[in-house]
Amino acid sequence: MPRKQVKKNWYPLDNAGVLYSAIQRERYSAVYRFSALMTDPVDPEALQRAVDKTMPRFPGFCVRIRRGAFWCYFEPNPSPGPFVKPDMANPCQPVRFHEDNDWLIRIFYYQRRISLEVFHAVSDGAGTLVFLRTLLAVYLRELGHPIPNGEGILDVSAPPEREEMEDAYARYAGQRVLRIPLEKTAFPNTSAPEPFYTLNVTLGLVPVDLLREKAKSYHATITEYLTAVLLQCLLENQAAHRFRHPQPVALAIPINLRPWFPSKTLRNFILTMRLCIDPTLGEYTLPEIIRLVQSYMRLHTSRQEMRARFTGNVRFTRNRFLQIIPLPLKNPVLAFSYQMAGVRPYSGTYTNPGAFPVPPEMAPHIQRMEVMLGQATRPSPHCASISYGNTMAITFAGTGVSSETERRFFTHLVKEGLPVRVESNRTK
Amino acid sequence: MSYCVNCGVELDDTAAFCPLCHTPVQNPNQPVDLHSPKPFPTERQEVPPVSKRHVAILLSTVLASVGACCGVLNLFLRTERTWSLYVIGAAIMLWIWLVPPLLHHKKDTLRLQLLADILAIAIYVSLIAVDLDGWDWYWHLALPIILLLGAIFLFWGLTMGGRQRSTLSSMAIVIGSIGVFAMGVECFVDRFFRGNWSPSWSLIVLAVCLILTIPLIIVRRMPSLREEVRRRFHL
Repeated sequence: MPRKQVKKNWYPLDNAGVLYSAIQRERYSAVYRFSALMTDPVDPEALQRAVDKTMPRFPGFCVRIRRGAFWCYFEPNPSPGPFVKPDMANPCQPVRFHEDNDWLIRIFYYQRRISLEVFHAVSDGAGTLVFLRTLLAVYLRELGHPIPNGEGILDVSAPPEREEMEDAYARYAGQRVLRIPLEKTAFPNTSAPEPFYTLNVTLGLVPVDLLREKAKSYHATITEYLTAVLLQCLLENQAAHRFRHPQPVALAIPINLRPWFPSKTLRNFILTMRLCIDPTLGEYTLPEIIRLVQSYMRLHTSRQEMRARFTGNVRFTRNRFLQIIPLPLKNPVLAFSYQMAGVRPYSGTYTNPGAFPVPPEMAPHIQRMEVMLGQATRPSPHCASISYGNTMAITFAGTGVSSETERRFFTHLVKEGLPVRVESNRTK
Repeated sequence: MSYCVNCGVELDDTAAFCPLCHTPVQNPNQPVDLHSPKPFPTERQEVPPVSKRHVAILLSTVLASVGACCGVLNLFLRTERTWSLYVIGAAIMLWIWLVPPLLHHKKDTLRLQLLADILAIAIYVSLIAVDLDGWDWYWHLALPIILLLGAIFLFWGLTMGGRQRSTLSSMAIVIGSIGVFAMGVECFVDRFFRGNWSPSWSLIVLAVCLILTIPLIIVRRMPSLREEVRRRFHL
């Protein structure tokens, strides 16, 4: 008698997901948010209909996380939802695995803004932007606007593709592993913490054409220019403290691996670069920092080196010995390793997913895009930027009281002749 | 539109102050718009964290039921010995160690908690003494050692708990305390078994601890040496 085929409906987390699920705490949020500011006020009912139509096309987002004996895993979430909710003043709250019907994504609306929050174990920025672009297209269709598929908008009536669910890390993992020694402790850039769950968000809007022109004057791209400005602000922040022993200033820069390793995956496929400036070696001018950023990025974004780096992470999840260690023992070790290798050597994070392209039929309905990172393990701000049309939205989000990093960053841009418009959720 | 006079950035019409430098907006040509919606929502929504009180109740219930069950079982099983005292004592000790910190996790109660923890150990050992009829060794050996340990922990709490103390000072305090503890233990053991104290092995421990502590104190007090040590050990 032939054995009945049991359809496997669960799947393991990729190695980035393993880490994010292990370090998720009440005081750390591996949740990020993309927002679209529409030209008209949001219709919540149409948005809910759009969510209901879009979710089945993205099975990787319709999941709940379960704790197994040895690893966490994803399985389809049969609960109703996710339901769109009015937005709140304290965004990117840490995810709790057994609350909100186990959903790992949240959709909010406020006036003209549609916001999507995603737990990082589910997907990275590139995957989430495909989901959001499709959701916005379906929403606009619900309002009666003819929006075609294509240009990053998936057909919600078509079945999901297998490759969209693949673990691209495992697919491209090689034989050689590049072990990186433990990096030096960086300047933490912290300030007094706000009360529980307060996330201070400061959004700066800069015209992309002027920003590009300015970056070009330094022979740099926009990302390189903004990274260098942020590094300089962090150096100035540290110099203001007049420490006897200044520490290196380092930024974590997530790199989307898809351009180097072609994949349609909507799950995580990123690698973090560490850009570091050592102030003990002397003072740096902005052009010098830009040269360092450019050189480092070009030197270390080789296909071979990046593959060797993430191969080590894949090996970790496949290690037979580690596999038999129970999850409650493994998670604290992972959290400690993250503290040592992922928090201590960094002063902050800067991510730039780049431009948000949409079909011409969709463009008039969106005013701008925004992105923000959730609360860090310590009260220091993270920076993220995204451009849409001629608007670059640069967001600082953190649980610290001080707005010194943001002030230095945006006033630096103003001094460079760039007009900056600032919005914030700070109430004092 | 208003601009911050300090930072030069354009501000939202609803902004009453610059979010970067907190300078109030005072634009006679365009007063702050108090009616239009703010760029971000103003209503907070908070999911309260898991209540520690509930965890404390759960732990108390579990420990109490374990103690009560063993106490009842002792009435019927192996009644010649009060073996349940070991379990009840362990439950009481665990309760004192775990539950009060869940309910009062403030720093000012740390010393009180340390005293309670030591008291819990003393109670547990006293229950063992009840079962073994060993009040002699309890009063003259176990209790003094426990109290000495408690005094050392309290000393650590007083010296290292409050403000940030340097690694070198902390190491000196810990190593010095170990030497004193060794002396105390030998004193109590000797007096219990021999009736008088003749220091021997504890002197070696104390000497080693002093050898380690004195250089640490010297390094701590001399800035040039301290910097050298910090550089070498990346402190």
